[in-house]
Amino acid sequence: MKTFTRIAVAATLGAVMGTTAMAEGLYAPNLAYRTGPFAATGIPLMNGQADYMNMLNARDGGIGGVMIDFDECETGYSTEKGVECYEKTKGKAIVTQPWSTGITLQVLPKSNIDEIPILAPGYGFSPMADGKVFQWAFNTPLSYWDGASIILKYLQDQGDLSGKKIAFLHLDHPFGKEPLPYLEQKAEAQGFELVPIPVGLKEMQNQSAQWLQIRRERPDYVIMWGWGAMNAGAITEAVKTKFPMENMLGVWWSGHDADLKIVGEDGKGYKSVSWSFPNPDAPVMADVKQHVVDAGNSQSNEEEMQGVFYSRGLVISAILAEGIAVAQEHTGKAEISPADLRWGLENLNFTEERLEELGMTGMVPPFSTSCSNHTGHSGGWILEWDGAKFVKASDLIMPDSEAISELEMAKAQEYAEANAPWPVNEDCEM
Amino acid sequence: MLNDIFIKPFVDMFTAPDFLLQVLWEGLVSGILYALIALGFVLIFRSSRIFNFAQGIMVVFAALTLVGLHAMGVPAWICVLLTLAVMFGLAVTIERVVLRPLVGQPDIILFMATIGITLFLIGLGEIIFGGENKVMITEELGIPTDSVVLEPWGGLLILEQKDITAVIVAALLVVALLAFLNKTRMGRAIRALGDDHQAALSVGISLQQIWVLVWFIAGIIALVTGIAWGARAGVSFALEVIAYKALPVLMLGGLESITGAIVGGLMIGMLEKLFEIYWGQPLLGGNTETWFAFVLALIVLLFRPQGLFGERIIERV
Repeated sequence: MKTFTRIAVAATLGAVMGTTAMAEGLYAPNLAYRTGPFAATGIPLMNGQADYMNMLNARDGGIGGVMIDFDECETGYSTEKGVECYEKTKGKAIVTQPWSTGITLQVLPKSNIDEIPILAPGYGFSPMADGKVFQWAFNTPLSYWDGASIILKYLQDQGDLSGKKIAFLHLDHPFGKEPLPYLEQKAEAQGFELVPIPVGLKEMQNQSAQWLQIRRERPDYVIMWGWGAMNAGAITEAVKTKFPMENMLGVWWSGHDADLKIVGEDGKGYKSVSWSFPNPDAPVMADVKQHVVDAGNSQSNEEEMQGVFYSRGLVISAILAEGIAVAQEHTGKAEISPADLRWGLENLNFTEERLEELGMTGMVPPFSTSCSNHTGHSGGWILEWDGAKFVKASDLIMPDSEAISELEMAKAQEYAEANAPWPVNEDCEM
Repeated sequence: MLNDIFIKPFVDMFTAPDFLLQVLWEGLVSGILYALIALGFVLIFRSSRIFNFAQGIMVVFAALTLVGLHAMGVPAWICVLLTLAVMFGLAVTIERVVLRPLVGQPDIILFMATIGITLFLIGLGEIIFGGENKVMITEELGIPTDSVVLEPWGGLLILEQKDITAVIVAALLVVALLAFLNKTRMGRAIRALGDDHQAALSVGISLQQIWVLVWFIAGIIALVTGIAWGARAGVSFALEVIAYKALPVLMLGGLESITGAIVGGLMIGMLEKLFEIYWGQPLLGGNTETWFAFVLALIVLLFRPQGLFGERIIERV
């Protein structure tokens, strides 16, 4: 019995030490949400992110010879749990990926003290683009204000917006309210009427009241800023109330294949702006299949892997991986610090050539960042649901950078003053 | 301002009666589904004095089981039967593993146990079915998905056939439930247990059997509710949140009253829609449905602490 106990203890210790050894490397936690009301949109994104990092570990032995310790801390999209996860993981993390605008806003002031980059691709607080003020926060490659701008430009191309009515159906949450300052400014400048329609978290699956309002208001267009179960709820109500689908557009988080599959053919014509697009023939997809899926290390499935969200998950991890690689090259060391990674993320340069080298041609528009521009403002495509999948319905549309950057700087300044003393990056030339 | 509160809403109702009908219809559909969820709470509370926090997750679990079985290639109606069998198994397991060992414990302990059941079912459901949004097998179950378009007073009234089906099925379920509780031996046993535990036990009513039975009935109600809500916007764990809308229904109607659950559900469903459309959206920026039902219930509680149909419990100190 004693021998058995010793063997068991030794085996356990060996397993623990082995795990520790395996887990060494660059620690990149992801504040994931695979559970709760937003899990439906979270799972394919998290799967894409994890698969890309696992692919790099399996194919290249990590980045620059160092394995990536990609770890998930489950938040259920709860801001409180997200902050707990941040506190739990920040000790050895080189980055934090908060995965919710609410969590990002909570973590933002902490990042100045902890000096850990916040990577929030396509979400978070839009003025984070101002890298001089938000030294540690990155919302590449597009901010919500960029997204709103691209949608308005697309609609303007369909006909003058002056005198038109646009309903803004949004989650009653920091994420949903984020584009309001920009939309309100543009409504005044372009002469259209903006009707904000909030959807409460408890009403996501029962939006009949919101769609009755839309029926009463008779808007020319509905712009949707939805997330999780809100998307499917809105799209089914739009079908039910016979709102013309071609006049409904969503942010990139409202363009999830699974949400549209619920209505199938009836959703034909629905559009979503996007900064990522699936390319099943891209070399990176073959590598993920060979090194991760076939090895049995993926939580995804074939159908999900063809979707927009899985592909976006891959792109998000590719942005982080590129930041790490750039930082390693700059510092000449493989084991980089959070400050090194910040430099890497401030010097991203995703050109067409670089995307081809990464095997990701067509999956994300080219963009670059700098110390003053933490977003990159890549531009986006309008995707359209054809009844079975999303297809590209436009060429790359660039946001109205001039108007946005003015608003970004003003709001960033406002934020810094409200949270004074707020350290800014004095070394960064605008 | 006074005009916006006291005159304009009624003028709007009068000038667009088709729209008013649409608002009332949407309120009725929501209300009957709130009532169904509330019924699940009431049945369990009546027979065991347990406030079943797990009712919401039971809706999700039943709907996910149904859809999950169908995804495995099982014919739709066999899926329904198998799901009922799963819900029965769940009722037996809860009675054996959770409730039986806690007999005689304070109510708060039993309430905490149902929170434990909720967390367990969330985890189990996510492990088995995953967290993705799934499409309800509406057409496979023979539920029509077209709309009936009417033109009252030259206006427009759209009635979804699946909503009509949900209202009819829910109404039939309520009638069947009332008949069961009032006309059958087991039903009377449930009511007897609700009225007086000790007296019911002394005449040979089996506490274990009744608990299994009420949890199973709550499971049936959960399945019907899950199908109805799932047909509207898919099946996901977000459905659990809808169960919280049953709380003000219970506060309004009374925790022990089946009539209260039905009337409370319908009242809240219709009044919250009317308030949101005619007062909430124009005057308060909308999204009043998240709090309106609770405020209404609190106002009722000020005057009738036991709810509209609840029993007045007087305890001597």
